[in-house]
Amino acid sequence: MTYSAAVRDYLLAFADDEHLVGARHTSWIGLGPFLEEDLAFCSIAQDELGHAIGLYGLLLADVGELDTFALLRASQDYRSCWLAEIECRDWNDSLVRHWLYDRAEALRWEALAASPDADIAALAARAQREESFHLAHADQFMSRVAANDTSGRIVDSIRRLAPVAAGIWDATAAESDVLAEGFVTDSSADLAARWNDQIRADIARWGLAAEWSDAGVVAAQQHRTQRSEGFDAFHDDLQRVLSLDTAATW
Amino acid sequence: MHTLATAPAAGRSWADLDDFQAFIDAGGMVEPGDDMPPEYRDEVFRFIEFHANSELMGGLTERDWIPHAPGLRLKQVFLAKTQDEIGHAHLLYMVAADMSVKTRTEMLEDLFAGRSRFHNVFHYQAVTWADQIAIAYLVDAAAFASQRAVFAECTYGPYKRVLKRIVAEEGFHMRHGEEMLLRLATGTGTQRAMFQEALNRWWWPAVQLFGPDSDPDDPLLRWKIKSQRNEDLRAAYVQKYVPLLHGYGFEIPDPELRQDDDGRWHAGPIDWEPLKATMRMGGPDSKRRIETAAQNWADTAWVRDALDRQGVGT
Repeated sequence: MTYSAAVRDYLLAFADDEHLVGARHTSWIGLGPFLEEDLAFCSIAQDELGHAIGLYGLLLADVGELDTFALLRASQDYRSCWLAEIECRDWNDSLVRHWLYDRAEALRWEALAASPDADIAALAARAQREESFHLAHADQFMSRVAANDTSGRIVDSIRRLAPVAAGIWDATAAESDVLAEGFVTDSSADLAARWNDQIRADIARWGLAAEWSDAGVVAAQQHRTQRSEGFDAFHDDLQRVLSLDTAATW
Repeated sequence: MHTLATAPAAGRSWADLDDFQAFIDAGGMVEPGDDMPPEYRDEVFRFIEFHANSELMGGLTERDWIPHAPGLRLKQVFLAKTQDEIGHAHLLYMVAADMSVKTRTEMLEDLFAGRSRFHNVFHYQAVTWADQIAIAYLVDAAAFASQRAVFAECTYGPYKRVLKRIVAEEGFHMRHGEEMLLRLATGTGTQRAMFQEALNRWWWPAVQLFGPDSDPDDPLLRWKIKSQRNEDLRAAYVQKYVPLLHGYGFEIPDPELRQDDDGRWHAGPIDWEPLKATMRMGGPDSKRRIETAAQNWADTAWVRDALDRQGVGT
């Protein structure tokens, strides 16, 4: 399938988000708060990486080999949002990111599942099955931990991550062309509105003392062309082995 | 050999250790509800706890290079493999906890406080991606051989039943290690040099994983938890892996390695001091490994506390 430049950029944004959030989730393998959660969170990380592979695969017919493309691009060529890029050293931040990100991810797949493009619709249908488990995990974990978190960590994480999370909805520069082509019908702004409603409802349902306003998109992302602080070190980590010998098959 | 179809019979007791030994020698399988001799309970519990700890710490050893995996599918594969190890720990801690010696939390807290032990190999650090492959190729194979030898007889029913799954997955890991090694062995000069250096670091720890020669009256052999002596397993491992590694063109870091007239390979004298150091938590990476796990356990206590308040035990 040959996509327009606008669609390619649109799909690349989602692929990079999936790749980087999956890579960030992997940092908890072996260090989850208890063994069952360790196993569950690791599965979610694997799923997100799988989604990234699927999305990159749609783009790669004329771009090149998957791992080189995914790992060795120049930082300015990524289209990830900062929520997917940032390091969450504390479990509370990782859990809150998981909830905020997967709420958004489900909406993005839902929009793509309705695309007239058969390839992306098929990939979305497959991802939606996995995403339902991710959402159930986030909901069950948050509902149980949030209600009993006397330390206030969850509320602090929500306050800290809310402005960054809104950057998920920072549209790629030519998203209007994607809509005009009919590739998807829901704009990022449309999805953001639904996402804000869902997040607000979750917070109320869980009885959390966290205010949630429809925060604007992080302007500094500049249509996802700017990377977050700390991205370069993350990127170096991701490509450390592959860049050792680009002629090698690993 | 026992079969997994053996029906659990609970609540049995034995007059004395001789009576119990006769039961074991007749092919008996011990179940958690049995009034097993305290000596058997303690030895088997300690062995399973050591195995569980080793699976968990093995996962922590492998996790270091997952962020640097040279590809997305490779990252998934190594995540899945490490997840298997954590899953094995999960199963084994449940089996051990059912023996009513320690709870799972007590076992984990003993591990993170350095009060209980785990396999020597997981006191070392993977310093390059090739070390990750050496672990998959050498260490998983050694662990597989060791666990398969336990599964072969294993008179403690719950342990034998979870070993069926663990051994199956470890066999898969071993094949994965072989495939990954093949990529390096048939790869570029950089890759081959990396693996030779990794082999230099990991050969002896892998050989030492089987432990020193078994005691003449090792109770784990007598009670048929183990089916083979340590030295026999070690010799078979050397016999298998020396020619394989030579075949790939790698050198074994053992200047006194020799082949006898029958073609069998024999390792040179083994310096057991590095293994003893790991048992004292004095291995090359013991301190960092334990501190990382302990710090994380402390940092995430609030999650477990919150779930306990909810009435969801962890």
